[in-house]
Amino acid sequence: MSLVEARGLTKIFRRPEKDPGLRGSLKHLVQRRFKEFRAVDGIELSIEAGESVAYVGPNGAGKSTTIKLLTGILVPTAGTVRVAGAEPHTDRMVNARNIGVLFGQRTQLWWDLPVRESLALLRDMYDLSPAFYKQRLERLDEVLGLADLLPVVARKLSLGQRMRADLAAALLHQPKIVYLDEPTIGLDISVKDRVRQFLRELREDGTTLMLTTHDLGDIEDVCERIVIIDEGRKIFDGPLAQMKDRFARVRRMHLQLAEPTPAEKLAERLPDVEVIAGDSPTEVTVTFDRFTHTAGQIIAGVLDVVEVGELHLDEPAIEDVVRKVYAGELLR
Amino acid sequence: MKPYLGLLRMSTRRILTYRLNSLILWIGGATFLAGSLAVWHALLSEGAIGGYDWDQMKAYLLVGWATASIGSAYGDWWMASRIFDGHVATDLTKPLDYQWARFSEHMGGLATEFIAITIAATAIVTFTGGLVVPGPGQALLFAVSFLLVAPLKFTIAYITTMACFWTQNFMGVSWAKDAIVTLFSGALIPLALLPAWLAGPAAVLPFASITATPAALYLGQATGWEALRLLAVQAAWVLVLWWGARLIWRRALRALTVHGG
Repeated sequence: MSLVEARGLTKIFRRPEKDPGLRGSLKHLVQRRFKEFRAVDGIELSIEAGESVAYVGPNGAGKSTTIKLLTGILVPTAGTVRVAGAEPHTDRMVNARNIGVLFGQRTQLWWDLPVRESLALLRDMYDLSPAFYKQRLERLDEVLGLADLLPVVARKLSLGQRMRADLAAALLHQPKIVYLDEPTIGLDISVKDRVRQFLRELREDGTTLMLTTHDLGDIEDVCERIVIIDEGRKIFDGPLAQMKDRFARVRRMHLQLAEPTPAEKLAERLPDVEVIAGDSPTEVTVTFDRFTHTAGQIIAGVLDVVEVGELHLDEPAIEDVVRKVYAGELLR
Repeated sequence: MKPYLGLLRMSTRRILTYRLNSLILWIGGATFLAGSLAVWHALLSEGAIGGYDWDQMKAYLLVGWATASIGSAYGDWWMASRIFDGHVATDLTKPLDYQWARFSEHMGGLATEFIAITIAATAIVTFTGGLVVPGPGQALLFAVSFLLVAPLKFTIAYITTMACFWTQNFMGVSWAKDAIVTLFSGALIPLALLPAWLAGPAAVLPFASITATPAALYLGQATGWEALRLLAVQAAWVLVLWWGARLIWRRALRALTVHGG
């Protein structure tokens, strides 16, 4: 059995439906209408121990709701969840010991007290021995530079510092599985790199990771597997490379031609690909499927018509795929 | 037990962090107490009202003020705000019983509350020429009853807080609760002085156990079996509300929506 198993996981929220303006608000007082909203709709998910999974989708796709169902915060409307054998929302306390959770937009530190105090409280919550606690703090200090943050009152931390301290808080008890909800949100490049480095080390230590993010760098740096959801439904689940094969097949070749050449003329020679004229008459862009054509074939075809000066090639990036998902192009 | 004691300590430290805020809170509270004493001093200058003379009323007002102070340093809004700002999500990922955890935090205010109550009692003794003190037997009954006020006030606040799961806001609920508790506990005026149509509900609601019961035991208005009956009623309310809160909590979790992030 997998470490995380979700079967037909569904969460329906009720949203009040109000007509616009004051009239609508007053009407809602007497005649309440609600609209059902499927935030998560029949998600099937299995995560094996040691996997690192990126959970991706546009805003409102149901990412955070899924995390909240997996962590036992929300009760599913339908379907089942098992995490390390426990049902999170009924065995909340058992489940809590197996998991570490970071909500990038919310802190779990005590806002008015030094970071050290929050960590000491977590030590008591998870019943960690003094020796283990010390060892964990040292380890977390190595990768997160924690020592400088310990005496600082949480509300005085910068966002990057706060995120490091929050990561330490989520990982102090060395959980089997770690859920990170937007762990790099709002961080600058250098802190982002540090956090990603830390997540890679965590993965190498054998921790199971599941992270939601809008930052594609997080995915390429940290995760091997990507799950894409939209409108509460899973639309892709597999290795990153496979996702690129399936959805990111398109390469673009930008060519600088020796003399002005109409795009149509090239298109005649290259029937299965798209040729678009560039900004100047000597520029064209050829868009082709990397499974049906090689770059060499394209160049050969163009050279039959005209000499080529410069060229460069855009490789498919997961940005493109995710952008398409966000634009709703992959769903239908 | 250890994590709950840890939470209690953290809560106390959090309250102590905002010393100035606490000080202002207590100055306001002291002003209210002084004002009530002045009003009743004037009212009682021509003789006892409803069986209360000036000495008894002083003691009554102090007990009323002390019971109202329990839980005030922690602040119900703190518990409520975690629900409507979504921090409840992180609380739910901890291996703690939610209700016991919040109770521990609530108790974190007791230290400062007891200091304030001691100062208020000393001030009354100093400036108004003494205070009625119960005999040892009544004092013991009063002490037990006063201890029960803490969990009783917690459960009422906790249940009120859970309204946030449905109302998404705490102001209205909180003000309504405070008004009802102040009226029906006897903190505003002794329940014996209420008209019959208000005294009726006051007698069957749990709020009388907050102020009227400890005051009756302190003043020796209830003795022997009657005193024990009042304590039993108080303890029963603590248990009923504690377990009732658990039932509501289970329903509330189903209503929980934490949007965004």
